Amino acid sequence: MVDVAVMVKASLDANMIRVDSSGKLLIEEIPLVISEYDRNAVEEAVRIKEKFGGKIAVFSVVTWGPLAKRINDTESVLREALAMGADEAYMVTDERLINANPLQTAIALASAVKKTGNYDLYLTGEASMDVISAQIASRIGTILNLPTVTFARAIELDIENKKVKVLRDLEDSLQWIEASLPAVISVTGEINRARLPMLLQIRRAFAKPLKKFTLNDLNIQLLDVGHRRESVRLLMVSRKNIIIEASTFDEVSEKLISKLIEEGVIKPRI
Amino acid sequence: MVETVIVFGERPSLLVDASGLVAELLRNGFSTSMIGITVSNGDVNEAARYGFDKLYVIEGAVLPDQVSEVISKIFNEVKPRLLIGSATKTGNDILARVSAKHNLPMLTEVLSVSLDGNNIIFERNILGGRAISREVTSKHAAVTVPIKKFKPFEISQKIAAIEKVSPPVSNVRLVSFEEKKKSEVNIEAADTVVGVGRGFKSKDDLKLAFDLASIIDAQVGCSRPIAADLKWLPEDVWIGISSKKIRPKLYVAIGISGAPQHISAVDAKVIVSINKDKNAPIFKYSDYSVIADLYQFLPVFIKKLKEKTIK
Ligand SMILES: Cc1cc2nc3c(=O)[nH]c(=O)nc-3n(C[C@H](O)[C@H](O)[C@H](O)COP(=O)(O)OP(=O)(O)OC[C@H]3O[C@@H](n4cnc5c(N)ncnc54)[C@H](O)[C@@H]3O)c2cc1C
Repeated sequence: MVDVAVMVKASLDANMIRVDSSGKLLIEEIPLVISEYDRNAVEEAVRIKEKFGGKIAVFSVVTWGPLAKRINDTESVLREALAMGADEAYMVTDERLINANPLQTAIALASAVKKTGNYDLYLTGEASMDVISAQIASRIGTILNLPTVTFARAIELDIENKKVKVLRDLEDSLQWIEASLPAVISVTGEINRARLPMLLQIRRAFAKPLKKFTLNDLNIQLLDVGHRRESVRLLMVSRKNIIIEASTFDEVSEKLISKLIEEGVIKPRI
Repeated sequence: MVETVIVFGERPSLLVDASGLVAELLRNGFSTSMIGITVSNGDVNEAARYGFDKLYVIEGAVLPDQVSEVISKIFNEVKPRLLIGSATKTGNDILARVSAKHNLPMLTEVLSVSLDGNNIIFERNILGGRAISREVTSKHAAVTVPIKKFKPFEISQKIAAIEKVSPPVSNVRLVSFEEKKKSEVNIEAADTVVGVGRGFKSKDDLKLAFDLASIIDAQVGCSRPIAADLKWLPEDVWIGISSKKIRPKLYVAIGISGAPQHISAVDAKVIVSINKDKNAPIFKYSDYSVIADLYQFLPVFIKKLKEKTIK
C-alpha cells in the first residue's frame, strides 16, 4: 500500500486569453483548467495505486480571483483528478491567498497535507502552466523536511525497502537518484500519458469527498515577505493571419511561395 | 547604501553568467557587494575575476539538497538583499529550497530588473509566455536568470578571495549519471527554421520536413513532445519556453498546435503554419497559414519550391 498526495493547480488557460476593447487583460475572466503537468502527476499516482494499492489525495490552493467563481473552477479541476482515480480532494480557499506567490502556496499546501494524514509520496508537476515558477516540490520538501527529487521522468518504487528510484531529466544529462520514503517528487510531462476519464468515472467522482480549508482552519499566518505582482501586460502578437486558399495544392503552394518571396524570406529562381 | 547580494552558479561559467543581473543592477545605480557561490567543477580561478568580493567553492557536491544547505548557511550569515541563480532546472530547484528555508519570495526566470526607491522590480513571463508580469520586491528575495540574458561584468584584475566549503552528506543518493546526446545544430542562430510537431505520425515521416528544410536552407526544430517524449529529434532543437528560443527570419510550423509554451519562444519576421485543424491556435500566431493535411500538402509544396526558388 502506498498513500500518495498530489498537488494540482487550477491554472489560467493561456489558450483562452480574454482582453477588453482597449486590449487590457481580463485575468478574472480567463478559464481555469488543470495544469498540464499536474495531470501527469495524478496519472502517476493512479498507476502507483493500481500496482501497489493505497489511497490518493489531491490538494489545490485557489490563487486566482474572484474567489467565489474560482472555487467552482477549482472544484471542477479536483473532480477531474477524482475521476482519473484519486480518492479524496482538499482545497485551500481564502481571500488572502488570491494572487499568492509560490512561497505562500507551498506553505498552504504543506499545512493541508499535514492536517489530512501521512503519505508515502508527495507528487507535483514540474511547473504550473500559467506562472511556471517550478518551485512547489522543492519548497514543500523543505518545509516537510523530506528527501526531494525534481524533474522525474520515471519513478520506480521499492515498497519492501521503503525506497524510490527516480530518473531525473535535466537539460543535458539524466540522473538516477535513490531516496527513502516518504519523499517529494516533481514529474515532467514526459513521465506518462495521462488518461482521459470515462463518463462513468466522471459521474462517480461527484460522490467522492471534497473538503475545503481556510487559512484559519490550517492555523496559518501569512507573512509579509515584501513581494507583490504590480501588473500583468499582454504581449501583443500582431501577425498577418492570412489563410492561403485555392482549389488545388499546386495553386496554394504557388501563392504561398510568392508571398514568401515578397517578404524576402526565400529567394526566387530567375 | 551598499546592499549585499549572493550569486550562485552550479558551475563557475553559470556563476559568471548569472552575475550579469548584478551588472545590470549597477548600471541602474544600485551599489552592491557581491558574494559568489559555486561548485568546484570548472575554472574557479577565472570566475574569481568577475567582480566578486568573495567566492565560496563547494567541493564535491552534486545534489541539490547538499548545495542548498551550504547556500542557506552563507545566506544566514550575510542576509543578502538578493539571492541570484541561473534559471536551469537545478538552479531553480536549489534556490527554491533555500527560499523555503528563509521565507523568501522567489521569481523564476526574470527578464528585466529596475529600481524604484528601495524596491527592486522584476519582470517575468507568465501565461506560457503570452504576458509579462511586473513584480515588486521590497525585502529579501531570490531570483533566477535565464542563461545569457544579462551582460556579465568585464574580467578584472581584482581577484576574489576563495573559500572552500565541504558540503553535508546528501539525503538522497546519486546512483548513475548519463550525458545527453548533442546535435551539431545551433537552432538559436538559424535564419530559417522548420518546426515539426505531433502532427507527424512517425519518425520516418520527418523526412518530409528535412526535404523542405534542405530546399529553403533551414534547420529543423520541434515542439517539446517530439524531442522530450518521442525522442525523434535531439533535445537541443526543441523550441519553447522550457528550451530554445529562436529568432529566425522565417519559421514554418508543421503539425504544431501552437501552444503558448511553444510559440512564444519564436520571434520570427514571418511565421508560416501548416495544420489540418482549422481551429488550431497556431493560426492566430501566423502570417500565412495553410489548412491542410501535411502529408498531402508538403510533397506538392516541396516540388513547387524546387521549381521556383533557390537557396
Ligand atoms: C510548463 C510547461 C512548459 C512547456 N514547455 C514547452 C516547450 O518548451 N516547447 C513546446 O513545444 N511545448 C511546451 N509545452 C507543451 C505545450 O503545452 C504543448 O503540449 C506542446 O507544444 C504541443 O506540441 P505539438 O503542437 O507538437 O502537439 P499537439 O498539441 O498534439 O498538436 C499537434 C497538431 O498537429 C495537427 N495535425 C495532426 N495531424 C496532422 C496532419 N496530418 N497534418 C497537419 N496537421 C496535423 C493537429 O491539428 C494539432 O494542431 C510546455 C507545457 C507546459 C505546461
